[in-house]
Amino acid sequence: MKFGTLLQDLARSAVHNPITEKYPFEVRATPARLRGRLNWDAENCIGCGLCVKDCPSQAIELIVIDKKTKQFQLFYHLNRCTFCAQCVYSCRQECLSLSRDEWELAALNQEDFHIQYEREVDEVPCVAATDPAEA
Amino acid sequence: MEKTEHKKGFTIPIGPQHPALKEPGHFRITVDGEIVTDVDVRLGYAHRGIEKAAEARSWVQNLYLFERVCGICSHIHAMAYCLGVERLAGVEAPPRAQAIRVLVAELERIHSHLLWLGVAAHEAGFDTLFMYSWRDRETIMDVLERFSGNRVNYSANILGGVKYDLDDEFVQFMCEGLDYLETRSEYYLEVVTTDAMFLQRTQNIGVMTRSQAELLGTVGPTARASNVHRDIRYEAPYSAYKQFPISIVLDQRGDLEARFVVRIKELFESYRLIRRILEELPEGDLAARMPRKIAEGETVSRVEAPRGELFYFIKSNGSDTPERVRVRTPTICNMMSVVKLAIGHQLADVPMILAGIDPCFSCNDRMFRVHLDQSVYANVGPLKG
Amino acid sequence: MMGTILPVLASLLLFPGGLTVFLTGMAYEWMNRKLLARFQTRVGPRWFQPLADVIKLLAKEEVVPEDVHPGLFTALPVVALAGCLTAALYVPLWGVGPLYNFPGDLIVTLFLLSLLTLCLGIAGANTFDRFSLVGATRAFTQLFSYEAPFLLALLGPAFVAGSWQIDEIMASGAARWVILTQPIGFIVAVIGLIGKLELPPFDAPEAETEIVAGSLTEYSGRGLALFHMGKIIELVLGITLIAALYLGGLYSPLDFLIKTIALLIVIVILEALFARLRIDQSVGLWWRYGTLLVLLQWLGTIFWKGVAI
Repeated sequence: MKFGTLLQDLARSAVHNPITEKYPFEVRATPARLRGRLNWDAENCIGCGLCVKDCPSQAIELIVIDKKTKQFQLFYHLNRCTFCAQCVYSCRQECLSLSRDEWELAALNQEDFHIQYEREVDEVPCVAATDPAEA
Repeated sequence: MEKTEHKKGFTIPIGPQHPALKEPGHFRITVDGEIVTDVDVRLGYAHRGIEKAAEARSWVQNLYLFERVCGICSHIHAMAYCLGVERLAGVEAPPRAQAIRVLVAELERIHSHLLWLGVAAHEAGFDTLFMYSWRDRETIMDVLERFSGNRVNYSANILGGVKYDLDDEFVQFMCEGLDYLETRSEYYLEVVTTDAMFLQRTQNIGVMTRSQAELLGTVGPTARASNVHRDIRYEAPYSAYKQFPISIVLDQRGDLEARFVVRIKELFESYRLIRRILEELPEGDLAARMPRKIAEGETVSRVEAPRGELFYFIKSNGSDTPERVRVRTPTICNMMSVVKLAIGHQLADVPMILAGIDPCFSCNDRMFRVHLDQSVYANVGPLKG
Repeated sequence: MMGTILPVLASLLLFPGGLTVFLTGMAYEWMNRKLLARFQTRVGPRWFQPLADVIKLLAKEEVVPEDVHPGLFTALPVVALAGCLTAALYVPLWGVGPLYNFPGDLIVTLFLLSLLTLCLGIAGANTFDRFSLVGATRAFTQLFSYEAPFLLALLGPAFVAGSWQIDEIMASGAARWVILTQPIGFIVAVIGLIGKLELPPFDAPEAETEIVAGSLTEYSGRGLALFHMGKIIELVLGITLIAALYLGGLYSPLDFLIKTIALLIVIVILEALFARLRIDQSVGLWWRYGTLLVLLQWLGTIFWKGVAI
């Protein structure tokens, strides 16, 4: 039986800086595996639709315009996404990734949550091959 | 429960919105002065229909649905589900994946127990201990975040294995965190067993004997604090617990102090197990291939969540969605013990006794039918500490 | 005529009474919260937070619940605050000596300070809210338990000084710090003050995890603000009294700051260190240990006085 067993810790904390992170003013480095916003690299996508099928929250829609010229549109609904990374795991072509840096995703408008990814395809397909995909 | 007769005394409603309960549950506590004479519990405020929702989703999608049954023990739910589905499909996850699953489950247990320590201290008005234990819990949250990229819903599981591997940098980071937490846990064990003011609130409060604990069907640390040998990791080792056995932590006393001691001692067991897994981590793949359609059949998957036995019943009809998934979380097993134990105690002890079972209300809110056999409860007799 | 009224008004409303009492109360509340936060490795409130709280509460709508006596509901916070403000006149705040004094003002001050708890209890009993009722019961129970030892502890220095007047006790205690001759009385007085202010570990009457906010559960807006102001003023007055009686008196603002802040730090450490006591435990503590020890000390003092004469 003792009184004030925490005294030692109190003394230590009194001279220690608070451990609270002052978040909007100090932003900590994010871990490498942080699961932030979904990015789509259209270059490798074959339009298999596994990501759409496995997404537990129906946050991904893939519209196949033309499979031969690899014309797909990917709609990503940020407000539905649970950042579980199942789509990244399911994708055999490794064209989906969750961003490490984009994680402050709050927005004031609904429209900001609906992100449309589209592969930039020029009129002549051979030029398109050299174009970097927009993500 | 039907209570038609007029009860004497003064009824204090606690919940569904109340500062003592951060989750919705309703307790009607009848007091005579400060002494509790009757407790009635009503649950179901956070029923989310998860089991029904599971029937409309594919096996893969359900993994993430069940991860969200409980915010604190998300991994263990996904693990129980994965183990069940893998058994149905006849697939076994590779040994490395099994070991990583157990490792994350133990990390989660550390995080859950430290969180509980803080909550229970807060119920006792010991806010300093609450702040300290939650501060130290951040260490484990950082470890989990570093491992999976997320602090709460780690999504480390995948049907047939795990998503993430351990690398040296992470292992070093985790070991440093565990070393720090081990010294802190020793300190907390000393605080909860020696601090005179705190012991006044825990010693001989809510005493549950072994026979009562068995009769009331308690599980997890609540049962183990009453010397009931009930730990799925020990009784029916699953996954990598076969390879890395755990020793069961028991306490004879059955009071609130014993529940503190058991949970903190389990932390040491978790630290030991994690270190052992790191030493003998099997090499190999992270995941086995799973079919999209699971063979017809039904199975029961039992795992030891931080709060006690977690039970999954999974039935497949051979399609890509489950026919039925039944979840029973440990809190519902322990809830009756609160109702029985609180009678005869001071009103001030009720939040402590409730916190003592580490309740998680939204997890336990699901449909079930109880066939009341009054004779069973009549045998429990008056419980008073 | 005006010439005599204006300084009196100024001393009542501005310094050392009135406004200064409010501001000092807020400053000490801020220090209390900030220190507690730092002991718990938190950041704590910014310096204007107590003021912001009061302004916010004053601006809020006050909801008068059904089935209460509306007059009582509105009057009780006012009476409580008035009691504290009146008590401030007899206490050497800021080390400038009490504004008014008369023989026996120590007793009057102590009873004025108890008025707050009394009002709190009646306020709780006034409503039909069950948390308030339990809170009121506990507030009264606690009042009856700490009041006797607290009073006895504060009368110890008065007994030695042979006067019931605060500034006379201060003057006679200045030569020797009473804390050295009556350590038990000092400890009981500090712990009694914690009980009086319903701070942890004696916060059973407003234990958040059991009965929400105790007696004040139904109060919002102005009433809550006034009760809150009363409480923070009582914190300052209590500390000032103990410092004046036990720590060799308060003779300058610097003296006041050093001694009261030191006492505040002690109180915050006690707040941070202990788990909440159940109401039966705190009653037991006060009557079984507090009162008995103080009485023992009284016996010793009487004996010593008898020998000295």
